[in-house]
Amino acid sequence: MDMKRHYYEDVELFKTNTALALTVLFLAALASIPFLVGDYALYVLNLIAIHAIVAIGLNILVGYTGQISLGHAGFFAIGAYSCILLMVKAGLPFVLALPAAGLIAAFFGFLLGLPSLRLEGPYLAIATLGFGMAVTQMIGHSDFTGGHMGIHAPKMSFLGFIADTGPRQYGVIMIVAVVLTLAAVNLMKTRVGRAFVAIRDSEIAAEAMGINISWYKTLAFAVSAFYTGVAGALMAFALEHVSAGSFNLILSITFLAMIIVGGLGSVMGSILGAALLTYLQLKLQIIQEAPLIGPFLIEISKRYFTTEGLPNIQSIVFGAIMIGIVVFEPLGVHGIYLRCKRYWRMWPF
Amino acid sequence: MKKSLVISVSMVCLVLLAGAFCAVSAAEKVRGVTDTEIIIGQWGPQTGPAALWGAVARGSGVYFDMINEEGGINGRKIKYVLRDDAYQPAKTKAIAKEFVEDIGVFGVACGVGTSPGMAVRDYLMENKVPWVGPATGSRHWTEPFQKYLFALYPRYTDEAYVLTQYATEKLNLKKIGFFYQNDDYGKEGLEGAKKYLDKKGIKLAAEVPVEVTDTDLKSHALKLKESGADAVILWVLPKHAATILGQAKAAGFQPQWIASSTLSDAPLMYKLTKGLWEGVIYANFLDMDNPKVKKYLEAQKKFAANEQNTGVFFIAGFMFVEPMVEGLRRAGKDLNPDTFVKAMETIQHWNDWIGHDCTFTPQDHQGMKSVFLSKCGPQGQALKISDWLTYPEGK
Repeated sequence: MDMKRHYYEDVELFKTNTALALTVLFLAALASIPFLVGDYALYVLNLIAIHAIVAIGLNILVGYTGQISLGHAGFFAIGAYSCILLMVKAGLPFVLALPAAGLIAAFFGFLLGLPSLRLEGPYLAIATLGFGMAVTQMIGHSDFTGGHMGIHAPKMSFLGFIADTGPRQYGVIMIVAVVLTLAAVNLMKTRVGRAFVAIRDSEIAAEAMGINISWYKTLAFAVSAFYTGVAGALMAFALEHVSAGSFNLILSITFLAMIIVGGLGSVMGSILGAALLTYLQLKLQIIQEAPLIGPFLIEISKRYFTTEGLPNIQSIVFGAIMIGIVVFEPLGVHGIYLRCKRYWRMWPF
Repeated sequence: MKKSLVISVSMVCLVLLAGAFCAVSAAEKVRGVTDTEIIIGQWGPQTGPAALWGAVARGSGVYFDMINEEGGINGRKIKYVLRDDAYQPAKTKAIAKEFVEDIGVFGVACGVGTSPGMAVRDYLMENKVPWVGPATGSRHWTEPFQKYLFALYPRYTDEAYVLTQYATEKLNLKKIGFFYQNDDYGKEGLEGAKKYLDKKGIKLAAEVPVEVTDTDLKSHALKLKESGADAVILWVLPKHAATILGQAKAAGFQPQWIASSTLSDAPLMYKLTKGLWEGVIYANFLDMDNPKVKKYLEAQKKFAANEQNTGVFFIAGFMFVEPMVEGLRRAGKDLNPDTFVKAMETIQHWNDWIGHDCTFTPQDHQGMKSVFLSKCGPQGQALKISDWLTYPEGK
């Protein structure tokens, strides 16, 4: 049993040596992947890592602090464009431009956090939705940001190291993702993290305990936007070309779906959700090539659908998986993980 | 001592030789080409907001089926891989990596959309993947020059130049207004029109931009009316073209409307505008009256019987891969990216397709620079009013 005798035991990053050992093993596995798989698989992992950063950031806001945002594609875009523009127009090196892009996004997050002090639930959703759409409109219409055609990203480079190949990009993206994940886990164990959770559970009770609601709410927005901005900057390099049109409402909703499917209020859930959704989005389009299910779906599509039937089946399957997870496992994929863990702890008794 | 030296030297030689041998055999193998097969990939939005344009990719599929049935190319059949990117650049990039790393395609055909294409352009070029006929008129395919990229869709700048020239010289309309979508698509059109008029020392009577999200175009129509333009060139979405015609008529302003090739589906526009589209002059980049189109539609009945969208987009899917197949033919049995590029560059003033005058040179990979004009007839039918008009190079 985990009985805590001391405050620091409760806030330790790794509660047991097993957890520490498993984490080290997992990190070692991550580090060895580039030597084992090809460029395509690395790109998929890069996308998963980038989406995981966004999901963690969004979960800090939605899952931990209880605010909603439908505008995270906006922060994503701000991060991507700031990083490219800082490097191309201001000549900043990548190492400085990346955190700077995060900070610029955080600044906008802070600004957006201000109205959130007065808004709640659906009203906040609409305000953030407006923000996300306004950002893409403004980027799309400014010549400085390359208009609707978008801009080309320079190569990721620092101290003479140029991350132009798949494995190198993977290295940079994965290191940033791991650092930010650990930072998020740690943040949730601090006074700030507990304040976020208190606000989520009851604003009045939190205020009664002396938590400065306005400060922590805007802070949650800023932190969340920082994560998303950094992820956006990394995305710019993974894609090499960004344009305003791709940061649309659908993207914001996909981010939200990631944390709901993965599990609200959990870093682990964010990562699982991001991995699951990214993987499904990329892989469901070749569902017709899967054994057994593939020929069956092709037959259905031929008999009952028009020629666009098969591609639409991927959307149907995607939706069905989402609904299934949310209905049968309200805690998301993270809930499944928790149950497995509990089962093995009890086993074989 | 000496003996061991000899042995070790010969060992090193052997290893080097083996290495060299491996390198040679690796060089002989060309990605996506075997003795019986050429693998060609294409991405195209089959779902999502741009799904309508997905017909392009399906059209190419039917064309390849047809070629295979006729016996293939130099004894090889085309294996065609179609992937849905839903018009999302992140997915397009994943598909491009899958094409190169996992499937190992020889080349890429068409691909709808400028931003999805731009996300993968450099990656494909670095990996020497020949790419023929991206399905937009963006100038980014040819500027800067890309060795393995061959563009077919006439550039918007060239098209606008030709349209403006026709309006001023043939129709004798000197006061020209320009109604354009406020993004790169519209702006490239505007630039082409200005390029021509600047040469003649004429100024546009009006430049009126419209936002993609605008719905009320009354003020736009009034601005165009105030300018007193004899002709207005449209570089907008179909819904905006339809609305501005209606608003202008309500305001008592009826100039000669001239539309870009993206509005070239006359029967559809006629229906959309409830007849107002009659008399509008518009550009076409492919000739639906070409006898080949009939053959292609028969192939569609055979290979894709339940295809519903068999209009301009679907047929464009055939057109954008015709030169690619010709290039594969000319490259002969010894097919690799470099022989393919050389073969493509021998295609000069080639007209055995449904486009016009395909020409590639080692300096210029924009294959087609021509459009022809049609007028919308009283029942929405297309009446051809001009021959192919070609952008005058270097004048």
